[in-house]
Amino acid sequence: MPTYSTSLQFQDLCCERDDRTLFYGLSHDCQPGSLLRVAGPNGAGKTTLLRILAGLYDADSGSVQINLTPHHDAREHILYFGHKPQVSRELSVMENLRFLTGAADVTIEDALVAVGLAGEYDSLVRELSQGQGRRCALARLWCNEAPIWILDEPYTALDVKMVATLDAQINAHLANGGLCIFTTHQAPQSLVFETLELGRVG
Amino acid sequence: MSVERRLIAREWRLLVAKPGDVFKPMWFLMLVISMVPMALSPDSSLLAEIGSAMIWVATLLALLLNTDHLFRDDFNDGVLEQWLFFNRPLAWLVVLKLLSHWCLYVVPLILVTPVAGLLLSIPANVLLALLITLLIATPALTCFTGLGAALTLGSSRSGMLGVLVMMPLFVPVIILASGVLVRATEGAEVLPLLALLGAFSMASATLVPFAVSAALKLNIGGSN
Repeated sequence: MPTYSTSLQFQDLCCERDDRTLFYGLSHDCQPGSLLRVAGPNGAGKTTLLRILAGLYDADSGSVQINLTPHHDAREHILYFGHKPQVSRELSVMENLRFLTGAADVTIEDALVAVGLAGEYDSLVRELSQGQGRRCALARLWCNEAPIWILDEPYTALDVKMVATLDAQINAHLANGGLCIFTTHQAPQSLVFETLELGRVG
Repeated sequence: MSVERRLIAREWRLLVAKPGDVFKPMWFLMLVISMVPMALSPDSSLLAEIGSAMIWVATLLALLLNTDHLFRDDFNDGVLEQWLFFNRPLAWLVVLKLLSHWCLYVVPLILVTPVAGLLLSIPANVLLALLITLLIATPALTCFTGLGAALTLGSSRSGMLGVLVMMPLFVPVIILASGVLVRATEGAEVLPLLALLGAFSMASATLVPFAVSAALKLNIGGSN
């Protein structure tokens, strides 16, 4: 297993959308092995913050750095899990993951066993249930080598057993020196995390 | 597997999953061309004269049928934003995407134009010129339609909007291509105009992917 030593810092992040200040002066230093939960009510800017950290969206001011270099030059260190399906309905489970991860077929099959999709390798995503489609997208967490995980609402549409499996995988990633930033409305029981509260600014 | 091979393999799998996307423009082209003699006149000398231009315009319109799918499904599914995390410049991935679109969807359409040419009794030398102009011009047209599709990703129902935005860019291509066809009909020298068309197509294929990737980044940033 590889061991990571990647850190992510952001300083004085400020974001306005539609003339409304979502947040300002946000700073945090995420060290290897740390878990950060971004919390806040709907519309507080959780997704926007995660998209800024992932480099998909530019903050109005402030900076994000990975290993002390600007994060736009280090996107391959990031695994971003958004709340869109992230899999194509017309392709099979394997085809989707082959494209997204570039991992060997054996690794992908192991990942699919881990998320409970054993035997569904060649099923088209549109034939799966919503929860299964979600599991297919989440299987990326079992077959990638990105040290930074940015997960937007990873628990949506998952059953209790899958939530526990996902928690275990996040813990394994942290133990490996990875770092993870996530949002969720139900605070997970089996994880130790710091919380960054949004929505407290004017 | 490298990112490049994965992207091209995925285009191929998508085509296999929805082969109708290849045949739809072909039906459209053949339908338009088979209607022309009925609507205009069955006089074969008249058809031979205007036929190549008709086929050119019909092919151009048939090309537009597939362009809205170019980025929209991947954008809505959130697959497009994952492109930014591949260790490659976005413009390079756009080049691969447009190139595989051209090979898989545009070239098959060009290959059926000789059949349409036979329906309109176009002489062999003009038919050859038609094929060559289409092969040379379609890379530019694919790039322009790609740009239109990328620019209008943010608005929900914008298939025609992208086409309208790109219409002025089609004009030089059509003028040059029809110049070649007119000269071929008259038996005059076509190479200078073909070279100009080729230069225009090369320039577009080199520069437009940068504009497409900028438009994609803009739309990915603007969405949740």
